Amino acid sequence: MQVELEVNGNRYRVDAPAAEPLSAVLRDRLQLTGTKVACGEGTCGSCTVLVDDRPVLSCLTLAAACDGAAVRTIEAEGDLLDRLRRAFTEEDGFQCGFCTPGQLMSALALLERTPHPSADEIVTAMSGNLCRCGAYEGIALAVARAAEDVRA
Amino acid sequence: MARLIKTEAVVEGRTEVRWTLVEEDSTPEWPADQPPGVVGEPTTRLTAGARLSGSARYTSDMQLPRQLEATVLRSPHANARLTSISLDAARAVPGVRAVIGPGDCPPFDGETVLHSEPPYGGAAVAAIAAETREAADEAMAALDPQWEPLGFVVDLDQSLENQTFQDDPVEYERGDAEAALAAAELTVTSDYLAPAQLHNSMEPHCAVADWRPDGLTLWSSTQGIYQARSQLCGSFGLDQEHVRVICHFMGGGFGSKFGCGPEGVIAAELSRRASRPVRLVLSRRDENLSTGYRTPARFSFTIGAGRDGRLRAVEASAVMGLGTGGWAYPVLEPVKSLYACEHQHLMTLPMRLNLGPAAAFRAPGVMEGTWAFEQALDELAEAAGLDPLELRRRNHTDVDPSTGRPYTSKRLLESYDLAAELAGWDTRDELRSDGRVRRGMGCASQYWWGGGGPPAYADVRIGSDAKPVLTVGMQDLGTGVTTACAVVLAERLGIPPDQVKVRTGDTDLAGHGPFSGGSMTLASVAPAVRSAGHHVRTQLLELAADMFEIAASDLELTEGEVRSTDGTLRRPIHDVTEKLGNAWVTGSGSRAPNPDGMAVNTFGCQIAQVAVDTLTGLITVERVVAVHDIGRVINPMGARSQVLGGILQGIGFALSEERVVDPTTGTVVNAGLEDYKIPTLADLPEVECRFVGEPDPELALGIKGLGEPPIIPTPGAIGNAVAHALGLRLREAPYTPRRVLEALQ
Repeated sequence: MQVELEVNGNRYRVDAPAAEPLSAVLRDRLQLTGTKVACGEGTCGSCTVLVDDRPVLSCLTLAAACDGAAVRTIEAEGDLLDRLRRAFTEEDGFQCGFCTPGQLMSALALLERTPHPSADEIVTAMSGNLCRCGAYEGIALAVARAAEDVRA
Repeated sequence: MARLIKTEAVVEGRTEVRWTLVEEDSTPEWPADQPPGVVGEPTTRLTAGARLSGSARYTSDMQLPRQLEATVLRSPHANARLTSISLDAARAVPGVRAVIGPGDCPPFDGETVLHSEPPYGGAAVAAIAAETREAADEAMAALDPQWEPLGFVVDLDQSLENQTFQDDPVEYERGDAEAALAAAELTVTSDYLAPAQLHNSMEPHCAVADWRPDGLTLWSSTQGIYQARSQLCGSFGLDQEHVRVICHFMGGGFGSKFGCGPEGVIAAELSRRASRPVRLVLSRRDENLSTGYRTPARFSFTIGAGRDGRLRAVEASAVMGLGTGGWAYPVLEPVKSLYACEHQHLMTLPMRLNLGPAAAFRAPGVMEGTWAFEQALDELAEAAGLDPLELRRRNHTDVDPSTGRPYTSKRLLESYDLAAELAGWDTRDELRSDGRVRRGMGCASQYWWGGGGPPAYADVRIGSDAKPVLTVGMQDLGTGVTTACAVVLAERLGIPPDQVKVRTGDTDLAGHGPFSGGSMTLASVAPAVRSAGHHVRTQLLELAADMFEIAASDLELTEGEVRSTDGTLRRPIHDVTEKLGNAWVTGSGSRAPNPDGMAVNTFGCQIAQVAVDTLTGLITVERVVAVHDIGRVINPMGARSQVLGGILQGIGFALSEERVVDPTTGTVVNAGLEDYKIPTLADLPEVECRFVGEPDPELALGIKGLGEPPIIPTPGAIGNAVAHALGLRLREAPYTPRRVLEALQ
């Protein structure tokens, strides 16, 4: 079926099976392979993208359900996302980097909603994003640091 | 001039004798007291730009023109015979380009890939390549496999009774353990049961194969590109020159991704048949059924000691559940090698079960063995009325107790002292209370190899833009070894590490290197990198000498400049390299062997503080102090991250991770991440991380490895902390709320 999507500011019309998840449309049809699929069943957070500013698990979200929506992925541009990228670099908030696109998108959603999150709010917002390398300390510090940058 | 030499290397407890090609090396050594510039400074990862923008291309991201999607049929039974399968019906599905079943696929490393009698739930039986995932799924449904279920064994005791071994039992004896135990003043006997821990790298096992008339290219999420190449050559009878393996970015491995894996052979065979590129990415569930796990093991110890706590004898056995693959990982190595103890009799029994093949998992054998033995030692400390750290100090050994060899370096006593000080060990009893939440503190020692060694090679070239390109025949799992190599090169060339471009993960590039395992990568490749960099440095200084008419010996490269030692000349290195035009200055280096007759080991100590909620049974690890002796630290930022990662995986093992097998069906019931619980951000403790010790005086660049060490002592320290908190000991990990509450009743 035909689905219209705005992805990172660009408009696309894709013809995808009704049951195709958003992650497959992004990765296989639009070649936006930054979004990663690590479990494919909504349990790890790696595939997190923003749909109309809300974080969603793109492996469980049907592309058809996003018709007309604005999607942002790790390939997006933006000051806040750039601040997060710098903070993740400086705090070493990743190792292999496979879960990182999802981490950044969850962090972006958090900071857009809550510019100055408490430590507990960071833990709550980011706990759904699994990282097997165990870069959690850097991730938490990076989110806090990016929030500090916003404040400054 | 290159020469062939014979050298010994210890890889995850197995000694290998290798012939290796080394080149003569005039690179000056690093004096221990002279800080070599960028080395030892925190350096952010070179891969940050690619990984944080989504542009990093992992194997599972590969999209070649006309690429097909592959899917694999797996057995749902613990043991079965395939009585029929409709391969032709699957071939008739529109969009299907290749279907293979038992007998159609070459073996992987001598092992059957597609089984007619699949020996475990999740064993591969058939594979399909199709234009789309939907077509592949439709073809999968058309296969209509018929099974005859067979009897199975998933229970260690049953396997032991049947005497079905997956690998040869290992017996080790020194002294006369029986007599020494009989004569010992103190005897402690205990049992421990370790769970199967699933790797769960975030990137599943995957491969993209492109079979062409002129050769095979395989993109593989692998810890060993050269190993993968050899396996593919073996499977398909191809020459090395016709197989290229690429792994540019990799989403973790932790020991489960050596070589090309069966998935690499399946993808290549499908590509060969379809004459199209084929991508095969395992689902999370298939990943957790078929790609390996840390072996579950049951330990029994009888420890004899003097009243002073000094070990006299240990009798120990370990029964390991290897499933249908893997080897006798060194689970009793900590008993054999960690402390002075004259009399030992150790038995390791690697059992075969109808479960997927085991695989190395970060410090395979040694982590779970340390978890068990370090708790048995705490029981001895209690029996002897000794402080646990004091017991460990009393049993310290200055030579490898199994060979008598001296260590190249050992800072274990220093690790105990520093860890105790940072943790507040001496006042740990003040943590204890009778309230609902009970706190405790426990310690464990760490022993591992990690000295690295040959063969490892590196090539460096620098052109007119003064930005060196370093080529190393390794792959970066995500550990940060790429960045560490750039740091090592940057020191020789006097430029910032971020100016270095590092090329890895491609067998068609120069610079053969080791697989990423055994905490060997950096210790192996860094000396080769430095040597290659030194050759380039020497040539650049000679060019500068000609240009500026100053003797090369009076020039140095530092902070991006060529400087004369008298301070009269300071010019950007670029002023020299720009004369090169399109030419390069190149240099290569190789890794020399470690000294003969010495033991190369890493050591350390971790102390964990836990809080146990006696109402809910929930354990929280509040703080971990980690002190490790790893020789020279190249990049403290990357090193700390490695330590944190090891601790978190250790917490998972101790508190929440356990593959559960239904004894009635023989199949795994928690292959997904919703019920196989790996740690999250909420489980992160406060971590105090320190490195002790100077650069190892006997090793090239003084480097010892760090990949494995930090996971090794964590679960044992947690186990001992829980016992300290509760005054009773849990003998089976993970310490889930259920087990805690049962123990408290």
